[in-house]
Amino acid sequence: MLRFDRRLVHNFDWVMVVLLLLISTMSLASLFSATWNGGPSPSPIFFKQLYFFLFGYAFILLLISIDYSELEMLSYVGYGAICLLLLYTNLFVDSIAGTQRWINLGFFHLQPSEPAKLVLVLVLASSYSSNEYVENGYRLRDIIRPAIITAVPFTLILIQPDLGTALMLAILFVSMTLFAHLRWSTITLLGSTGMGCAVLGWLYGLKDYQRRRIETFLNPESDPMNHGYQIKQSKIAVGSGQGFGKGFMEGTQGHLNFLPERHTDFAFAVWCEELGFFGSLFFLVCFFFMLFWGINIALTARDKFGVYLAFGLVMLIFWQTVINLFMITGMLPVVGIPLPLFSYGGSSLMTTLVAIGILMNIRMRRFQVR
Amino acid sequence: MKNFRKQNRKRPPDQDISGWPRDVTTPRITHINDGELDFYRRRAMYSSVVLVFFFVILITRLWYLQIQRGEEYTKMAKNNRVRYLEIAAPRGNILDRKGREIVTNRPSFNVVWVREKNRVDDALIKKTASILDIEISELLARTRKMVGTPGHVPIRLAEELSWDQVAYIENNRMELPGIKIEVVPQRVYHYGNLASHVIGYLGEINPKELSSIDSEGYRSGDMIGKMGLEKLREKDLRGEKGRHYMEVNALGFEQRNLKGLEPLPGNDVQLTIDVDLQRVAEELMMKDDKSGAVVAIEVNTGRLLMVASSPVLELDKFLGGISVKNWKDMLTNPHHPLINKIVQGQYPPASTYKIVTAIAGLAEGVITPESSIYCPGHYRFGNRTYRCWKKTGHGAVNLKHALSESCDVYFYQVGQRLGVNRIAGYATRLGLGRKTGVEMEHEKSGLIPTSDWKMKRYKRAWQEGETLSIAIGQGFNLVTPLQLALMTATVANGGTLYKPGMIETVKDPDGHIIEQFHPTVLDRFDDQGSNLKIIKEGLIEAVNGRRGTARRAKMENITVAGKTGTAQVVRLKQYKHLKEEDIPYKYRDHAWFTCFAPAERPEIAVTVLVEHGLHGGSVAAPIAKAVLEKYFGRRGKNPEETSSVVLFHNEVADAGRSSESIH
Repeated sequence: MLRFDRRLVHNFDWVMVVLLLLISTMSLASLFSATWNGGPSPSPIFFKQLYFFLFGYAFILLLISIDYSELEMLSYVGYGAICLLLLYTNLFVDSIAGTQRWINLGFFHLQPSEPAKLVLVLVLASSYSSNEYVENGYRLRDIIRPAIITAVPFTLILIQPDLGTALMLAILFVSMTLFAHLRWSTITLLGSTGMGCAVLGWLYGLKDYQRRRIETFLNPESDPMNHGYQIKQSKIAVGSGQGFGKGFMEGTQGHLNFLPERHTDFAFAVWCEELGFFGSLFFLVCFFFMLFWGINIALTARDKFGVYLAFGLVMLIFWQTVINLFMITGMLPVVGIPLPLFSYGGSSLMTTLVAIGILMNIRMRRFQVR
Repeated sequence: MKNFRKQNRKRPPDQDISGWPRDVTTPRITHINDGELDFYRRRAMYSSVVLVFFFVILITRLWYLQIQRGEEYTKMAKNNRVRYLEIAAPRGNILDRKGREIVTNRPSFNVVWVREKNRVDDALIKKTASILDIEISELLARTRKMVGTPGHVPIRLAEELSWDQVAYIENNRMELPGIKIEVVPQRVYHYGNLASHVIGYLGEINPKELSSIDSEGYRSGDMIGKMGLEKLREKDLRGEKGRHYMEVNALGFEQRNLKGLEPLPGNDVQLTIDVDLQRVAEELMMKDDKSGAVVAIEVNTGRLLMVASSPVLELDKFLGGISVKNWKDMLTNPHHPLINKIVQGQYPPASTYKIVTAIAGLAEGVITPESSIYCPGHYRFGNRTYRCWKKTGHGAVNLKHALSESCDVYFYQVGQRLGVNRIAGYATRLGLGRKTGVEMEHEKSGLIPTSDWKMKRYKRAWQEGETLSIAIGQGFNLVTPLQLALMTATVANGGTLYKPGMIETVKDPDGHIIEQFHPTVLDRFDDQGSNLKIIKEGLIEAVNGRRGTARRAKMENITVAGKTGTAQVVRLKQYKHLKEEDIPYKYRDHAWFTCFAPAERPEIAVTVLVEHGLHGGSVAAPIAKAVLEKYFGRRGKNPEETSSVVLFHNEVADAGRSSESIH
């Protein structure tokens, strides 16, 4: 399995590496600015994230040396482990700020709901790619297994409660299921059921603070000091960047602490404020180019599992990006979804880097390597 | 979709529909289901339309926010200058039953630094350090601790400034941007460590408390009750923080004050505790380093008048966080200052338990007040000999004498006739062996054994010999001083077990009463009035009789009724021949005394436990007497007052007779 093959070097995915390094540099620069506290050296948070990046790169090197088909078997083990970890967090971990998300590993607070997204993509890719092909598309009974696979971590994360991540899992499931070619009748049926559930969930399932967030979004003036405040400050930060920004390290919204969570969920607002529209455009072009490259990897993958997996991983990064950027620009309520590769947080960063590592892996093995 | 799929099938397997250039250097290995693969590849390609769609939306939105409305938002960012500081609320006061202040607040002046620009100014730090006369490194350490918190959260640089320092900083405000004086209420303990176990102390909130459910409104750095009523009544005492709104300019300097929110002080808590009684007890216990507990309770309501646990907690050691060394010292101290012995200390009730055995005996009819039992100084049961504390024996004794002289042999036999389970039933109804529900932390339930309990716990059947030990309060029996005080109060008031309470009233800052003490009945003995009367006679005799064991508690004007107890800690042969003073401290017996007064019309019950105090009669009884003397003051036995008693009419006569008989 770890046998060296010259073709692997030949096919090394340099495009992805260059994109990754470019985005990482921007991300770290922005974090440096957002967390700088006036001292002579960068903040400890900056170093922590830097170490996570370096560790993640090393891990990618390890990851690309095994064939991704091996991951298919591993994914079920990982899935079981993640579900147990989620169960453990729900049962035994003291809640922080009303939610139970983190397991303290001493050097690192692991948030198992982050790798859960990745593992779900792996397991769904494996499940769908092993399905027999059906002429007119899949029927409801064909997607029962993937639905159950999604429902277990979804429920566990929902009761933490972490609505954002749970919805993320649901979105991944929907994306990958639609990708798997459903019958139109099935789509209609599921779509209407889903709407019904959403209405019921709004009425009975949401915690007060979650409902308040959504209400605040719809009517920001109702709660100007809290969630409405966050969105408002974020919009001010982004907007006041104008064309070319206030300059690196010069953002007032960030540095005068008007911007909440400025190194985590709202990290990109700092970038927008300091580098303006053209800086943000440059970042988005790089980022979306990376996503398109990921789609390209799906197009050229050697087998069905590879196509599915690449597609799912792109969706994993894509939807988080869209939701986070929509939130920062005031088009969605505050949901705790980080911007991949950009928001501070080890669990999220490692998950994204592993996803990119797997994409590179698929790319490098688009021709049968035996 | 259907048609599209069919087209795929017809396509030669070689043709790549993905549209992406194919690597021609390596030959492609064809799949069996290559057509299907191509189908999915095509879908993946279509999905990029979704990506483009969202990309365009995002770019458009950024264009709208940054270019189209950029000017507007820039203006908003410049005007974005209203900030607030939190103002701590004064905590509620704690008063005694007569309204005397036990714990209140005084202002403490702290120096805080508001990091407007988030930049450390070396000159500023140096200047501040020299004014405050502390090391620069400490200032930096405190600053570092707050890294990552929003800049408008002030960093506390120093606490408890002197007036001179406050004046200096105020006068040089212009040279010290961002440095502010913060006035924080600090607890003042007017009576030192008085009732410290019950009142408790404050400490800085820790991460665990911050992340708990009730942490709303707290911030790191806030003070929170860590023990005793300060903790249990946190919600009443804490009040609500105020907010100080201010406008700042682009550099973060304060421009003008805006209308703020005044902090709302916490509720005042008035205790049922009497400071005078509490002080008497604590001082007496402190003498000769005694450790133990003294409890006084109003027999007809359950109000706790005094709750002393000795040694007291030294509250000043807890101010600003307790040091590791102090904490270790407290943990290893043989007198266990950290333990609130009133409810956390469990001791064999010893002879005080004979009251329970007597009540059970009378109620179950196994003895009558006149039943006489001969005490030769020992009692033979099975193949063992059970000794009476008096080696020469008490001779023929009836119940009254058995109680007053604490004859073991008498109660061995009563116990044997009753059996362990019947005794346990009465003990439980008198409040022993179960938590009282008083507002103190970590209350222990004590232990009243039954045969079932032993079977469950040790998987062995109950031995009848054990019943004899139980009957005199040894063996498995364990009670807390508070439980024994409750039992005494129940005997005194004619059979009503009240829930002990410590909070007289809780008043909001406007003086409205939010909570008021009401007696709560936990249990009631019916039809035991005459039996209890007989027991009281025995207890009166114990204090006032010529041969009573508790003569040291006898008072001039007030008739006291009480019972002593000496609880064995260990029964070791090696110490048998030693004089009491030579036995190591931790193996010495515990001394009990529990009493109530006036016997004719009981008002107050007092229970004293001195750990390793050797003899109840000589060590514990005088403490109870001192407390009673303080309580009754110069009040004599007012005949008018006595005659007004309706409930215990006969008793008054009896009591009078028995006290006469001593003289």
